[in-house]
Amino acid sequence: MNKALEFSKKHGIAIITIVIFILLAITTEGFFTERNLRNIIDQQSTILIAASFMTIVIISGNFDISVSAIFVVSPLFTLFVENATGNLFLGVLAGISIGLCMGAFNAIVVTYFKVNSFIATLATSFMFFGLGYLISDRSLMRPAGEAYQQIARTKIFDITSAAWLSLIIVIIASILLTRTRFGRNVFATGGNQEAARLAGINVARVQATAFILLGGAAALAGIVSSSRSISAQPSDDFSFVFAVLTAVIVGGTSIAGGKGAIWRTVAAAFFLAFMSNGFNLNQVDPLWQRIILGLVIVIAVAIDSWSQRRNV
Amino acid sequence: MEKRNNNVKAFISFDKVSKSFGATNALINCSVDFELGKIHSLVGENGAGKSTLGKLILGIYKLDSGAISIDGIPASFSSPTEAVKLGLVGISQELSLLPDRTVIDNIAMGRETTFGPFVSSNKTKEQVLKVMDKYDLHVDPEKIVGMLSVADQQKVEILRALNTNARLIVFDEPTARLAGHQVEQLHSLVRSLAKSGKAVIYISHYLEEILAISDTITLLRNGQKVRTESASNETRDSLIEGMTGRDVGSLFPEISKIDPTKEVLLKVNKLCRNNEFQDISFEIKKGEILGIAGLVGSGRSELALTIYGDRLPDSGSIEFCGNKVGLKGISDSVKLGMAIVPESRRDQGLMLERSLLENTSLPYLKRFASWFYGINKSQERKEVIDSCVETMVKHGGIEKEVQFLSGGNQQKVLFARAAMGKPKLLIADEPTRGVDIGSKQVIYELISQLSKVGEAVLLISSEVEEIIGIAHRTLVMSKGKVVAELSGSELKKSTIMEAAFKQ
Repeated sequence: MNKALEFSKKHGIAIITIVIFILLAITTEGFFTERNLRNIIDQQSTILIAASFMTIVIISGNFDISVSAIFVVSPLFTLFVENATGNLFLGVLAGISIGLCMGAFNAIVVTYFKVNSFIATLATSFMFFGLGYLISDRSLMRPAGEAYQQIARTKIFDITSAAWLSLIIVIIASILLTRTRFGRNVFATGGNQEAARLAGINVARVQATAFILLGGAAALAGIVSSSRSISAQPSDDFSFVFAVLTAVIVGGTSIAGGKGAIWRTVAAAFFLAFMSNGFNLNQVDPLWQRIILGLVIVIAVAIDSWSQRRNV
Repeated sequence: MEKRNNNVKAFISFDKVSKSFGATNALINCSVDFELGKIHSLVGENGAGKSTLGKLILGIYKLDSGAISIDGIPASFSSPTEAVKLGLVGISQELSLLPDRTVIDNIAMGRETTFGPFVSSNKTKEQVLKVMDKYDLHVDPEKIVGMLSVADQQKVEILRALNTNARLIVFDEPTARLAGHQVEQLHSLVRSLAKSGKAVIYISHYLEEILAISDTITLLRNGQKVRTESASNETRDSLIEGMTGRDVGSLFPEISKIDPTKEVLLKVNKLCRNNEFQDISFEIKKGEILGIAGLVGSGRSELALTIYGDRLPDSGSIEFCGNKVGLKGISDSVKLGMAIVPESRRDQGLMLERSLLENTSLPYLKRFASWFYGINKSQERKEVIDSCVETMVKHGGIEKEVQFLSGGNQQKVLFARAAMGKPKLLIADEPTRGVDIGSKQVIYELISQLSKVGEAVLLISSEVEEIIGIAHRTLVMSKGKVVAELSGSELKKSTIMEAAFKQ
């Protein structure tokens, strides 16, 4: 009995996800079909790519709002280079590189100038968004060649390359976090920064690395997303980062840092995806969808914080 | 409801109270009475249940079974707010003040005098000053609390309790962060509180303090009450025996002599850091235990952190095994063979929500990590387990979070971590603060073992007995300077204290 309780506490989010999956599979026609599930996996790929590394940044004790801006700017720069050179590979390389650079810029502001990461990345968001307008000359950009759309749309074993990419990124991020020295240092830094420092860990380097990697991941997510729509457009749209943060936080990764896991984020991303898919299939009014979604997030987070609370 | 025999008027009584956390019974069938106007101390090792009892009174924990009555009337309260309403207030080890607000704001917090929806700052100030006068306890009311010394901050907290018309005040390890003369001041304050009719519950690890201050002492062991006695019937030995359930010989192990021909391991030359310490020079030989005594704030911890490479000195040099230290930071010092047990295990030492394994191996992960395979967990586990055995950490599995360990065992985890590095120099800053007697003994034994195998120890401590008990030689610091160097027969409480208070 005690063990079962312990288990459900630890794996709460996974259990809820499986429960909602089974519920929808039983009750909702069209949910448990190959096509629908493949679609869900494909749709979640961009969020998963960014959220895996967002999890690492949050565990290290920071926050990154600028993921949205990097998500918008990177594909613009990719297409800019691709249009100019005609070389797709060069374009993608440039797009990822600018993401890494923007991550590095965040890292410098946060770890060197010690600006609170929430404020810092909110400020850099505006800079990056502005950069997007600059690169694109305020207009929609399209790829010159046909190959661009293949980045996200190539099918391997009937599953899109976007989904495969996200799987690879999730695995890489998980290995980094759980099996390497870097991962341990991330947990230590977020858990108790002063103690980590006194144990000889270069705390600034750990946090900076996390930011840079997230910049790269957000850039990849942006490229995948624009490859899917075969275009890119400058905007001031913050919605991507909220979707990413929702997945990380509903997964139960502590905003205070030092605690969390990538599998939790993945489970939460699917939990949210199943739910909104279930709404659509059941033709719930989008107005109600929002209200229920918000409520479910509150309940999920409340249950999680209750179950992780110490037994007092 | 049973009738109490009422020749003594108990203010609050516990009747067969039990409380457990998961599988651990923190308190079992405990019955204690606390009276107004008396200082009643709770004594026991870590995990004996004294803090649990304190927190039950303050409404922080809810009891599982049993009954609490106040003035003979059964009382049930389940939150700190309700407890405060009943006049039950606590002064805790970690102060709970708003550091950016003024003394007045802190004292009056939640009880400001109001005029309609507005706070009347004049009246509030008047009221606070009245309380200060009444108990003759003064702190500059306009100062920002964060700028005050720990002792003054504690006064603010006590004033806040008095401002709520507290009838019972629980002091939980109030002197853990105070220097010698501040402890005296606190004690006279506690006595005057009792004299003015408050019930005082005093929880401390320092037996001398307990014996000096208490009217009544309740001994707890493993969650059960051993006895409640008048303080005049107890001695230090009787308390230790009662707490541990066994006869404790000497607390301190035999310390082996140092060989004067041994080579010098650490050489500190004219070290200065602005506002922290000036002109510090000393040497440590292999196998030597060098004590650094002095009041909190005398620059001891800052000196230790500078030697450890955490910060650069303004001038002077540190030479360790022939290498200059401090230029490349802590990771370099660790590589050269230094390890630290920092002053505060919660703030500077442990990641409380991470496992024992991760906490122990943290500085030495490189040893188990390779680029391609990541961390070799089985090798890591093996070494961590070995290290925990060596340092006698009692734990329920190395994958468990360290927050569930007792204070003494948490402290031993820091020693286990240091032991993994097989350091040449261990810097131990207040290694036994807030630790029970059993763990203290283990820690002293560990330090003496290190010295035996030729490792040097820099022992910083506010507990003079501890320094006398295990250090070969002692530097006394005052206001950032070394004011005395004592060894052999000069190492006495009186000489150390005299030097520490010298201006």
